[in-house]
Amino acid sequence: MLVRAALLVALGCFVAALPGCGGETTQQTETFRVALLTPGSISDGGWNQAAYDGLERVERELGARVSHVETKSPAQFEEEFRSYARDGFDLVFGHGFEYQEAAARVAPSYPETVFVTTSGNTVLPNLAPMVFELEQATYLCGWLAAKLSSSGRLGAIGGVDLPSIRSTFVAFRAGAEAARPGVSVREVFLGRFDDVPAAREAATALLDEGADFLIHQVNDAGRGVFQAVQERAAKGSRVYAFGTNRNQNDMAPDVVLASAVLDVPSAFVEVARRVESGSFRAEPIRLGMGEGIVSFVLNAGLSGGIEAPVLQELAALAAKIRSGELQVPRGNF
Amino acid sequence: MKERLRVLASPIAAALASIGIAVGVLLALGHAPLGALEALVRGAGGSPAAWTGTLQKSTPLLLTGLAVALSFRCGVWNIGAEGQLYAGALAATFVATRWLPADGGAWLVAPVLVAGALGGAGFGALAGWLRAARGVSEVISTILLNFVAIQLVAYAIQGPLQEAPRAYPQSDPLPHGAMLPALDRLHLGVPLALIAALVVAFLIDRTAVGFRLRAVGHAPEAARFAGLSPERLGTLALALAGGLAGLAGAVELAGMTGRLYEGLSPGPGYTAIAVALLARLAPLAVIPSALFFGALANGALAMQREAAIPSVATQVVQGIVILLSVGFALGRLSLARERVPSEGEA
Repeated sequence: MLVRAALLVALGCFVAALPGCGGETTQQTETFRVALLTPGSISDGGWNQAAYDGLERVERELGARVSHVETKSPAQFEEEFRSYARDGFDLVFGHGFEYQEAAARVAPSYPETVFVTTSGNTVLPNLAPMVFELEQATYLCGWLAAKLSSSGRLGAIGGVDLPSIRSTFVAFRAGAEAARPGVSVREVFLGRFDDVPAAREAATALLDEGADFLIHQVNDAGRGVFQAVQERAAKGSRVYAFGTNRNQNDMAPDVVLASAVLDVPSAFVEVARRVESGSFRAEPIRLGMGEGIVSFVLNAGLSGGIEAPVLQELAALAAKIRSGELQVPRGNF
Repeated sequence: MKERLRVLASPIAAALASIGIAVGVLLALGHAPLGALEALVRGAGGSPAAWTGTLQKSTPLLLTGLAVALSFRCGVWNIGAEGQLYAGALAATFVATRWLPADGGAWLVAPVLVAGALGGAGFGALAGWLRAARGVSEVISTILLNFVAIQLVAYAIQGPLQEAPRAYPQSDPLPHGAMLPALDRLHLGVPLALIAALVVAFLIDRTAVGFRLRAVGHAPEAARFAGLSPERLGTLALALAGGLAGLAGAVELAGMTGRLYEGLSPGPGYTAIAVALLARLAPLAVIPSALFFGALANGALAMQREAAIPSVATQVVQGIVILLSVGFALGRLSLARERVPSEGEA
């Protein structure tokens, strides 16, 4: 009896919800509307969360109306892009290279909507990737490392050997060469991004070979790199590491000299601002130090040990990169 | 007559009860339930575009649901539709991007679909062979082979099948001619899956092979005394099921994504078990069952888009609906299985 009553109530709710179904189809609003598709959960504390933080800031700072969908598979991308475009959204983000194929299929039918993928290389009149120039900051890492190195040997530890990862090392090497021609940079790839022990082992091996400055691109397995450097430093060696992507200076404040920082949420705000103001162009949206999306953050606890002329030269170099006077080499992808 | 009515009433009761609980869950999580359910219903079938999305999502569920129903009817507990789907997508990608001419016409669709079905069938037969020759439980082997297939795809798109520019972990795009023709984005896979349901229904209920499969499923020892080989027929069932799931993979590839990705289409192989159970393993009933699950998945996306319900909450709602509907259906299942062989119909 109770069950039947509950069912009736449920049915009532269901029917009550129905009349709203037909109504407003074409909702013409002046409000700027922004949507985001992520390939995973927005509470992952990493890639997807950063994008959602960006979307929330777009809502707060631009007064936009926002919407988010977690797409479970590439088979869903196209339909979700279409749904948003059909609803009249002004800007739809696809958070990953894997969205570009579906976006390219949808974009021509909805010229009023701008589609932006996070990384990628597909460009149409209303579709462009945003490309983060973390290379500008890793260039400075390389430059500073080569200036301060006593052995003239540097090391770079990557996760998966992807063009985007390799590219940050290309810039690191170029920065090092610029400061000290003939400097040696050894690169090691682990094949994965989450293996702390492997990162630690690789770092120890590079230190054994005489490297005294290490940069990494292994996301949170960077902890392993820092541990190895800390162990070596505890034995009295002057060895340092660089953090990447996030400000990792506080992960090992005694050995992380600086971090190449990427501010993903601000990138979303920057792109949304450009689209809203009509300054969107059909070309990759390069976001680096000039736009304030990438930064080179020295560890204040350690930078006191660097001689003033080196710091001045570093600041001048950073200013040149920001103004666009210095183009940092990067991988081609 | 009264019995029939009860059979019909149970899924409806399940649907209503799950709506009631979903309302409670949404309230508990602090979301307005009416707006959310409205978005769910509208997103599932409130417009032609919503129907397109629902049919697109139902198609792999229908094919994999048939795969599960077919093997379960033969007493083979195939949990590997997911892996068979990936094996099919992998084989289809290989044939489409490595063997077929890039400038070929629409005929390219045929070899791609055949490759998908054969890839899945081979993968299914592998579990069948392990079962027949070595006595390995197909529950274990099919589950483990899921991981093998998923990792094979990951390897392939970072290795031998990676796109020519080698920038991203994805395959080359399929040649244009290999993409399934589509009418307003409803691709050929949709009618194909419906035809597959008819074929499977005919095979199971109206042919000698189908009778043998069912006999083995129902009473393996009796079937053995009658001269049938449960091992051989089990392998056949797994191969056929693999073929259906592999076809689903090829359809997702050639109808939807156009490239092979890691995580191309996660889930249908597992949801397929629920789809098949809700349909009480009757091939024709898999059609409405798959449609129901497809509508649910599509509506859940609309709940995120339009009612700003976070995906975790929509997953809870989906889970409740699946659990309840399958629970209700299972209550009837034992009865259904007893009736089936004696009447020779589902």
